[in-house]
Amino acid sequence: MTEQTQDTAGSNWNSEKFTKGLAKRKRAEVRFRRIGLLAILTALTLLAILLFSIFSKGYTAFVQTYVTLDITFSEEVIDRNGTRDPEELRLANYAKLVQNALRAKFPEVTSRRDLRALFSLVSNDAADTLRDMVADDPDLIGRTVPVSLLAGDDVDMVTKGYIDRAAVEDDRRVKDRELAWLDILEADGDISLRFNRGFFTNGDSREPEKAGIAGAMVGSLYTLVITMLIAFPIGVMTAIYLEEFAPRNRFNDLIEVNINNLAAVPSIVFGLLGLAIFLNVAHLPRSAPLVGGLTLALMTLPTIIIAARAAIRAVPDSIRHAALGLGASKQQAAFHHILPLSMPGILTGTIIGLSQALGETAPLLMIGMVAFIADIPGSINDPATVMPVQIFLWADSPERAFVEKTSGAIMVLLGFLILMNALAIFLRRKFERRW
Amino acid sequence: MNVQIQAEKSANAGMDVAEEFVIETRNVDVFYGDNHAIKGVSLNIPKHQVTALIGPSGCGKSTYLRCLNRMNDTIEGCRVEGEILLDGLDIYASGVDEVLLRARVGMVFQKPNPFPKSIYDNVAYGPRIHGLAANKDELDDIVLTSLERAGLLKEVQDRLHSMGTGLSGGQQQRLCIARALAVRPEIILMDEPCSALDPIATAKVEELIDELKENYTIIIVTHSMQQAARVSQKTAFFHLGDVVESGPTEKVFTSPEDERTQGYITGRFG
Ligand SMILES: Nc1ncnc2c1ncn2[C@@H]1O[C@H](COP(=O)(O)OP(=O)(O)OP(=O)(O)O)[C@@H](O)[C@H]1O
Ligand SMILES: [Mg+2]
Repeated sequence: MTEQTQDTAGSNWNSEKFTKGLAKRKRAEVRFRRIGLLAILTALTLLAILLFSIFSKGYTAFVQTYVTLDITFSEEVIDRNGTRDPEELRLANYAKLVQNALRAKFPEVTSRRDLRALFSLVSNDAADTLRDMVADDPDLIGRTVPVSLLAGDDVDMVTKGYIDRAAVEDDRRVKDRELAWLDILEADGDISLRFNRGFFTNGDSREPEKAGIAGAMVGSLYTLVITMLIAFPIGVMTAIYLEEFAPRNRFNDLIEVNINNLAAVPSIVFGLLGLAIFLNVAHLPRSAPLVGGLTLALMTLPTIIIAARAAIRAVPDSIRHAALGLGASKQQAAFHHILPLSMPGILTGTIIGLSQALGETAPLLMIGMVAFIADIPGSINDPATVMPVQIFLWADSPERAFVEKTSGAIMVLLGFLILMNALAIFLRRKFERRW
Repeated sequence: MNVQIQAEKSANAGMDVAEEFVIETRNVDVFYGDNHAIKGVSLNIPKHQVTALIGPSGCGKSTYLRCLNRMNDTIEGCRVEGEILLDGLDIYASGVDEVLLRARVGMVFQKPNPFPKSIYDNVAYGPRIHGLAANKDELDDIVLTSLERAGLLKEVQDRLHSMGTGLSGGQQQRLCIARALAVRPEIILMDEPCSALDPIATAKVEELIDELKENYTIIIVTHSMQQAARVSQKTAFFHLGDVVESGPTEKVFTSPEDERTQGYITGRFG
């Protein structure tokens, strides 16, 4: 027995067998490191390609083309009686002002068809812009002022270079004569690109130049707030109960397995569930953030429960024993010590669950949040859409100008997701404790 | 039958009959699932004395200790049988509030486990949940007295509101003792309170135990024969879930009756 021990202890570390083994081990390690590096590089490259394609297509969504025209606020068009009555001013035909300005700029255009083409250089949003200007300052009436007006989506596409001038005219949405007018405007310095505020303040629209994501952002916000208000307390309470109070038995094991399974259920199934319960049984309003939030809460619950349970389990038993040993009840130990200590982990899990919900489309399609909705929702019962659904809708639209809107909306959505994840990391760092 | 022999054995263990016992245990059995960890232990704990529990690793000292404040209730699959009387009342009887029991029987754990809160909040937690202080001043008073009694006040006086987890190991352990004292228990259970401490901190804790025995009954589990000999008046030797021998510390250490005790304290097995 002792002899044997001595034998191993006296192993020859310089023998050929050991050296060979050592070299082999080193090679294996280097190989593994290289494979790992390669995997990371591949992932990063794919991510870079994705981001590049989105950004290169999407950044132009944040600027919009404006045409500057000398608008004459002629009294005979908008205030024929000269009363300056606000009501009358509001109903006046401001489109006529734009048309007059365009006619004045291009007097040679006379035929009906050409005129229609000419007028479509400027978005029909222009009339609203002028109406607002006059409402703000009625003294404008009778004067001529240069005004920047939102350009039509075709003009916008040309200025942003998305229309190939070299293509055969018949295949081109923008014809030669329109290009000629544009060149004249361009030469006069009347075309400008500006920050597209409307993208962040408007609801959806059939006119790409007017379409914005404000409606979808508000819809997403309402939906997420509902989701959080429902899923967070229920999820955390469930986790505490399961971890701290529930006895270990068959029934609770079954619950545990099923919660884990639920986390893996495809989200569209939750959509069907929401449709069946909230719309068909409870008769809540269709397409509303309320129902969307409830449905997403169903989907997020398992994620929150699982994250919260892991966070609670990570609190060392010594803390539980310390509290119980002092005569705290189980509930006091849970709420005074374990919950506060596991809160960073719970919050991180919740935020990750919520960012999943923020990016979710399928279940919302099932409950009708996929309709075209131009108004920004004012309450949780108004019809609304959410950002990923808006992206889906725009991606499905035929107009060329919606391509950049789609990418722009994706960028905004990604921005929110990154923000939420940064918040999760921040919370974890800030409240992390060591013991 | 086995139980009877056991009962006789400890009755014969040569205890002074006139002594006053706060805790009497009779034929206590503890099971972890199928594992029979404590086998019919009968042991009496004298009031306002230090009782040391010694014995080789895994013999059930901690398990026995946890029976006395029902901390075993928190362990899944643990079953306690037999009678444990605190001041003559069975603590495992139905209707006994284990929360109140744990206020009366405090515990200090092997590894210092302060809450990740301020030193003040650590000590104040017990009085707060039990409503021992009517106002802030009273609470301050309890906290300061407890820290004083635990011999920690001088060191932490001017940083009462810094984290308890930021103290050294020995200070943390004394903080845990202060925390236990703040609830004003009658009995303090200590499970190897010095195993994570250096000799100086250990000496401080031992000194403290010596002072505390004036007002408290203390039961201490220890692996150090010297410590048991230094601080305790009564010693019980555990072996494989049995109390093999118990009696006045002096007697157990100088003239043990059982040869296993003899072997253990002289270091021949363990
Ligand atoms: N939580 C538990 N679950 C299951 N079995 C346990 C548990 N705690 C202790 N045991 C078993 O009970 C027996 C006694 O353990 P105990 O912890 O009481 O020993 P000990 O005398 O305190 O030992 P040590 O001196 O090493 O701390 C051991 O066989 C152990 O395996
Ligand atoms: Mg132990």
